[in-house]
Amino acid sequence: MGLRWFHYVLWGGLISGMFLLPQVVSNGTLRTMIFANYLAIFAISWDVLSGRTGYVSFGHPFLIGIGAYTTAILTKRFDVPVEISIPVAVVVTMIAGLLVLLPALRIRGSYFALVTLAFMELLYQLVQVIRPDLTGGTRGMSGIQTLTRGAANGYYLSTALMLSVAVSMWLLMKTRIGTALAAIGMNEESVRGSGLSTTRLKAFAFLTSALIAGLGGAFYVHYLGSLAPRALFDINFLFTIIVAALLGGTSTIIGPMIGAFFMTFLLEYLRPVLPGAERYFVYGAIALLLYMYQPKGLVELAQRGFQRLRKGGLA
Amino acid sequence: MTAALQVSGLVKRFGGLVATNDLSFSLQEGESLGLIGPNGAGKTTVFSQIMGELRQNSGTIELFGQEISGLSTPQRIRAGVSRTYQIPRPFGDMSVAENIRVGLMPDDIWRMIVSRPDTDREKELALSVGFSETDLGRSPAELAMGDLRKLEMARTMATAPRVMLLDEVFAGLTVGEIAQISDLIQSMRKDGMTFLIVSHDLPALEPLIDRAIAIERGTMIAEGSFSDVMNDTAVQASYLGGV
Ligand SMILES: Nc1ncnc2c1ncn2[C@@H]1O[C@H](COP(=O)(O)OP(=O)(O)O)[C@@H](O)[C@H]1O
Ligand SMILES: [Mg+2]
Repeated sequence: MGLRWFHYVLWGGLISGMFLLPQVVSNGTLRTMIFANYLAIFAISWDVLSGRTGYVSFGHPFLIGIGAYTTAILTKRFDVPVEISIPVAVVVTMIAGLLVLLPALRIRGSYFALVTLAFMELLYQLVQVIRPDLTGGTRGMSGIQTLTRGAANGYYLSTALMLSVAVSMWLLMKTRIGTALAAIGMNEESVRGSGLSTTRLKAFAFLTSALIAGLGGAFYVHYLGSLAPRALFDINFLFTIIVAALLGGTSTIIGPMIGAFFMTFLLEYLRPVLPGAERYFVYGAIALLLYMYQPKGLVELAQRGFQRLRKGGLA
Repeated sequence: MTAALQVSGLVKRFGGLVATNDLSFSLQEGESLGLIGPNGAGKTTVFSQIMGELRQNSGTIELFGQEISGLSTPQRIRAGVSRTYQIPRPFGDMSVAENIRVGLMPDDIWRMIVSRPDTDREKELALSVGFSETDLGRSPAELAMGDLRKLEMARTMATAPRVMLLDEVFAGLTVGEIAQISDLIQSMRKDGMTFLIVSHDLPALEPLIDRAIAIERGTMIAEGSFSDVMNDTAVQASYLGGV
């Protein structure tokens, strides 16, 4: 029960605060928020698969990249309107996800992570050599149609998208499918021993995850207006997604959201102090510490704090 | 009449070890069969083959006349056979009720999403194995071995089996818990459930079964009434030599 009111307060506060924000903060901060929104989408996508079922994906930039490239190529090279190119990008991402899925479903643990990582690397190499006239090769693409003008509008669009993803995943994961996916993470054999086809469940998790990744990737590229393969298929980008989910707390929706905002702002504030890639080292260390001492993440930590406050107040 | 479960010529090798050696037996619907034998005799391995968790090298397994060897474990469970594990394997971060919920789920993603969990049935199953209502929210980490076995029973029953395989049901239980599980098995027998039961606790097993088979090193050494099997010289030798 204590858990439930806590969640409602968190969600309510978060949603209203987010819509009021552009009134009070600078455009720079808004741009940071926009990145945080997309990161939250990617972290939710990662969590739906990896956080729940325990199949750790290192290949999410692959999925995001498929979504981003598909819509970028369709709109820029073939003048396809975004209303069509984005849904197509999502479908293509899901199909690409199926390709990864087939070999990956039967293997667990570090091999699964490695196979998915290989797909990311493969795509990175492919976009540079295959049809650079379409993909823009090593330099990527620029001048991609943007959906919004100005930081405030970009912020509203990304917030609306992130919240729709969060709410729909929250509703979905509240059903028995959420329970079943979490059960796979705890003991896959027992799930089979309960009469459920785990292959089908994992495929569902994978496709849902790919759907969100493709959606996020497509909208993100139409926010940026450009696409750089080196930034997209970057191990730091991959770890930012994973650490956001782990940091916030896996197997929740609000966890990856909080984790994404925490990570984004931490990286941003560290920028003046540590301009280079050393920043990533700092959050790696933070993530490691948190993971060692509070493996359930920030959400759990906050929940305990609240409970302690409440108990203290009542006593 | 077709048997509820018919195992014929089952062979399972682990490298050079023959864990199941040309084993054949059958179970009529509503019958309860005891499977006894010393540690390492191959009892659990038989269960794993019936459930499809291990694939036999040869032999057939028929459930109500249907050869199930080609089916996956979930498909076999849908066909009507379910087992408990010697070492309980609960979902650690879920409550007792949620553990049972997983067993009750249809193997159909759409229905999992659109229809709500049947909390009444979850409770009914939990109470039937001897949990109290307050236990529903407890986590497996807080449960003693006896409660974990009860949970294992409840989750297995949730899959609505027609044939239940119980592996070492009484291991680690108190006298009171043994009585409780025994009562549960007896009442299910009255309702027509078919059982194959493995137990080292022979006095507790005796009243629960109609017949017994004894195996040693994967080979059947005796078959018949409980007392016939226990008085068999080969069985006595194996129990003196084994365990
Ligand atoms: N997966 C396995 N791989 C190799 N050997 C196994 C495996 N499972 C069981 N065994 C061996 O098969 C024999 C029978 O084991 P088991 O069926 O667990 O016996 P029981 O349940 O009667 O105590 C034992 O010698 C055991 O060591
Ligand atoms: Mg055994």
